[in-house]
Amino acid sequence: MEQIIEGFKSALSLIASFDGELMSIVSLTLFVTIMATGISAVLSVPLGIFLGIKDFPLKSLVVRVLYTFMSLPPVIVGLFVFLLIARRGPLGGFGLLFTATAMIIAQILLVTPIITGIVYNGTLEKGRDIKDLGKTLGASRSQLLFLLIRELRIEIFAGIISGYGRAISEVGAVMIVGGNIQGHTRVMTTAIAMLRSMGDYEMAIALGLVLLALSFIINFALYHFQQKA
Amino acid sequence: MELEIQNLTRTYEDKVALDISDLSIPSGSFIGIIGPNGAGKSTFVKLLAGIDPLSQGRVLYNRKKLHRKSEVYQKMTLIFQKPYLFRTSVFDNIAYPLKIRGEKPEVINEKVEKLLVDLGLESIRNQLGKTLSGGEAQKVALARALVFEPELLLLDEPTANIDPQSIMVMERVLRDFHQKNRPTIIMVTHNIQQAKRLSKEVLFIDEGKLIERGPTAKVLEHPKEGRTKNFIQWAGI
Repeated sequence: MEQIIEGFKSALSLIASFDGELMSIVSLTLFVTIMATGISAVLSVPLGIFLGIKDFPLKSLVVRVLYTFMSLPPVIVGLFVFLLIARRGPLGGFGLLFTATAMIIAQILLVTPIITGIVYNGTLEKGRDIKDLGKTLGASRSQLLFLLIRELRIEIFAGIISGYGRAISEVGAVMIVGGNIQGHTRVMTTAIAMLRSMGDYEMAIALGLVLLALSFIINFALYHFQQKA
Repeated sequence: MELEIQNLTRTYEDKVALDISDLSIPSGSFIGIIGPNGAGKSTFVKLLAGIDPLSQGRVLYNRKKLHRKSEVYQKMTLIFQKPYLFRTSVFDNIAYPLKIRGEKPEVINEKVEKLLVDLGLESIRNQLGKTLSGGEAQKVALARALVFEPELLLLDEPTANIDPQSIMVMERVLRDFHQKNRPTIIMVTHNIQQAKRLSKEVLFIDEGKLIERGPTAKVLEHPKEGRTKNFIQWAGI
């Protein structure tokens, strides 16, 4: 118990002193997760809306594949991206292995189905009504898309927040393709896993607290937005 | 707006929902569409609005065929039986069609304010759409449809399930709009008395077919077809 209390005290002092290593890990984590979630959102929101309002052959199959991909095991994604970008892989020439870019790619693959699935479900309920109404009021295709995004903003925001939650808490994929290299590809989750095995509980607890604080901020923002809308 | 319907068919899977071979509606008409539930009335207005695809045939608007980028979409609208109001204020809901047409703020203000007064919505202008009663919501939907002065106004049972006072207000506004702007109005209604009060002509549709057409008083009081007669008797005239 004493060890845990001491760990918390040291962790708080690391956070309060803006420890260099801690800040480097946190900032890289934020960079990777925000980039991955941002790119995923740009891809997923129109895709989720499209799936929700359009009928096409094999749609039910596409939706089933999407639902399956929503719960993809991160290590499988990590392995897949690793095989693609490894030196002898088809994209090996780009030199992406063990870079932040590789981590972003892996997270995009994990997050995109989650945002798409949540936006798709949100669109199913009233997306067609909004589309039909916009069309009958004379909206162009781009105005319709903007209208759908505006009207479905709560569902879209929930999707993005859930996607971000997945990105920031994910460890398997980024460990495989990033390699947890200090100052280069070390993010909070991979650092916590490594620090635990090294017995450096102070830094592990400090990172855990920051991770919890970020999760709280994300959920607070979601709740606040839902109440306001 | 003049409408020309040629060999129009709409099927859902194998079932024919609508099958109208030839129909012409001159510009400035006020037409009521009556018929039993499931007759194809709503399908008809949705096809005209371009939100439901035709299975066969064609519809000409001012002698031009409708396509995805038709300018006609800018000049027509449809009011649904269950209105969807945007997640914004009453004022912004009504202003939407003008905003997407790039109207100046002063024009938007003037037109929206006039409709708010006409429909008795001034006191709720800042309320959110989701907080409104059924009657208020349908009045907002009517204002949103009229604000850009469409040449073709389609209404799908707009006063179903709303209070008599709101119905009276909506009918007055519709009548005034028709007298002033002379648009083509096609209104599906379950209420034969309403058709009598508003429309100059009625179409009786049953089982997807156009059974009878004529001046409202004539069709409702002296229907030629047996099916029309039965429906009118059943509907209580």
